[in-house]
Amino acid sequence: MGSLRTLLVIALWDLMKLKNQKVFIAMRFAWFTIQILVFARAVSYIVSQVVLQYTGGVEYYYFYILGVYTTLLYSTSIARGYMIADEFDDGIVEYHLSLPIRRNLLAVGRVLGSSISTIIFTIPMMLVVYYVLGVCNVVIVLVSLLSAFVFSMGIVSFVILIVFSMKSTDLTDIVVGAIDSLLVRLSTVFYPLPVIAATGIASYYVAAVLNPISHASDFLRILVFPEYHLIAPYGPVALILYITGFSMGLLILAIEYYEKRLEAGGWR
Amino acid sequence: MGMKGKAIEIVGFTKKFGDFTAVDNLSLDIYENEIFGLLGPNGSGKTTTLLTIATVYKPTSGDIYVFGHSASREDYEVRKLVGIAFQEPKAMWIDKPIDLLNWHARVVGYSGDEAKRVVREVMELLGLWEHRNKYFYQLSGGTRKKVELAKVLIQKPRVAILDEPTAQVDVLSKHALWDVIKKLRDEGTTILIATNDMFEAERVCERIAIIYKGRLRALGTIEELKDSIPRGDVIEIQFDGLLPESLRSELEAYGRFELRSNALTIYVEKGEEKVIDIVDLLKGGGVRVKKIMVKEPSLDDVFTYLTGAKLREE
Repeated sequence: MGSLRTLLVIALWDLMKLKNQKVFIAMRFAWFTIQILVFARAVSYIVSQVVLQYTGGVEYYYFYILGVYTTLLYSTSIARGYMIADEFDDGIVEYHLSLPIRRNLLAVGRVLGSSISTIIFTIPMMLVVYYVLGVCNVVIVLVSLLSAFVFSMGIVSFVILIVFSMKSTDLTDIVVGAIDSLLVRLSTVFYPLPVIAATGIASYYVAAVLNPISHASDFLRILVFPEYHLIAPYGPVALILYITGFSMGLLILAIEYYEKRLEAGGWR
Repeated sequence: MGMKGKAIEIVGFTKKFGDFTAVDNLSLDIYENEIFGLLGPNGSGKTTTLLTIATVYKPTSGDIYVFGHSASREDYEVRKLVGIAFQEPKAMWIDKPIDLLNWHARVVGYSGDEAKRVVREVMELLGLWEHRNKYFYQLSGGTRKKVELAKVLIQKPRVAILDEPTAQVDVLSKHALWDVIKKLRDEGTTILIATNDMFEAERVCERIAIIYKGRLRALGTIEELKDSIPRGDVIEIQFDGLLPESLRSELEAYGRFELRSNALTIYVEKGEEKVIDIVDLLKGGGVRVKKIMVKEPSLDDVFTYLTGAKLREE
């Protein structure tokens, strides 16, 4: 079996699960649409007069909904990666490790499958956001999807590494929960970088500048509103390179873990 | 086994989990096209051995070779030769058998249409087709086990590893599955079965290794193992009350015996002749005998003789 075909078949594992979650996907879509069309307008109304200077001229409403989309992308990637932890409890990792597949392909296939599932899951939400923003440029939509996919690969790899290192769903719950809450808060998804700088807390500012979630949301903002680059920490090329480096680095670590260290047992 | 080559060669294999030694310096050979049984109670190291052959675990020391390929250094080559039906069916509650098996068929190399054809064939053979679109949580334990076996039948590997393949399966289906397993062997697959069911071992396996507490206790054909009990028959006696200490040394004169609460198992020559003397001895000692049975040794007796333990909890 060729490597590409093997990868696609492995990726099918995650896509197969997606079709049994139609109700969940519909509920998330409904929640997201209400957040964007109702609550985001309320938040924006409160702050829009004050923060234009901090958003490079981009209305806070637009700033905010791209941030909400990025957090959704992030949390869905975490959830997809976390499904692998659930699979540990059911012993499915043992089954996968026994299959006639090279371990490096198994690792890449699982990451690809989880990331593709994430993108399929979040495409309706992205389209709602772009409809509200009035974006109808196909290139922007495709580049957004691609950057979201690369970002998702990094997050999924990250969760897989944690799950494999912990080999315990309880410990994984604690570690992922802690990292999850910190990463979203220490980012620019809801607060523009100049606002963070204005707090005067240097560590907060540094964390936001280094945070890959900041880069993912800021890249989408620059893509839609080029003027946003005035307040972004880096230009679009640097942002996407950062996201790619982050994701590829974690993917390589995940492959290394699958190939060299992973064996079954120890997480019950 | 004459001219047959080695399918699996286990050489000084030890597996530790932290301080716990699951398998201790196990060495044995399994030959091409035989049905080989690993017999032992739960926790004896059978599953650990099987999972290491399937490269799911890595050996702590020693190695396992499958058709000459090292499980620790050539794991991918080994996986191409081995298929495994796990003891616990591997699926999540939302999975459906048809999806799982179609995916499995694709992973082991079938193209789309070919995969659907072979999956249907195997599901019909095992009586699974009517359950194809049920969620896994809706299936009985026996049906789930059949889904595991279906994976191996779809794969048709050179070495099939079956971990307690008929546990939770009803008696009628057990016989059908044993026939399926033998047919798989006839088609060229070497089969390694782990079981704690002595009837299954006697019915299906050609050679058996008895494993207890991670160590190999005996290895051979069923007849060879039965002959390993030095005296030919087994007398089982159930009685009321306690066995007086004074009788123990007199019983030992007849042969080795095991005492479990109100049951006595004595390994003797010419059981039919000795049983009358033994019952008289017990009655003379004030023991009320309830039930007497003289039989040829079973694998269970062999296991008890070798380890002092029972294969299954009673």
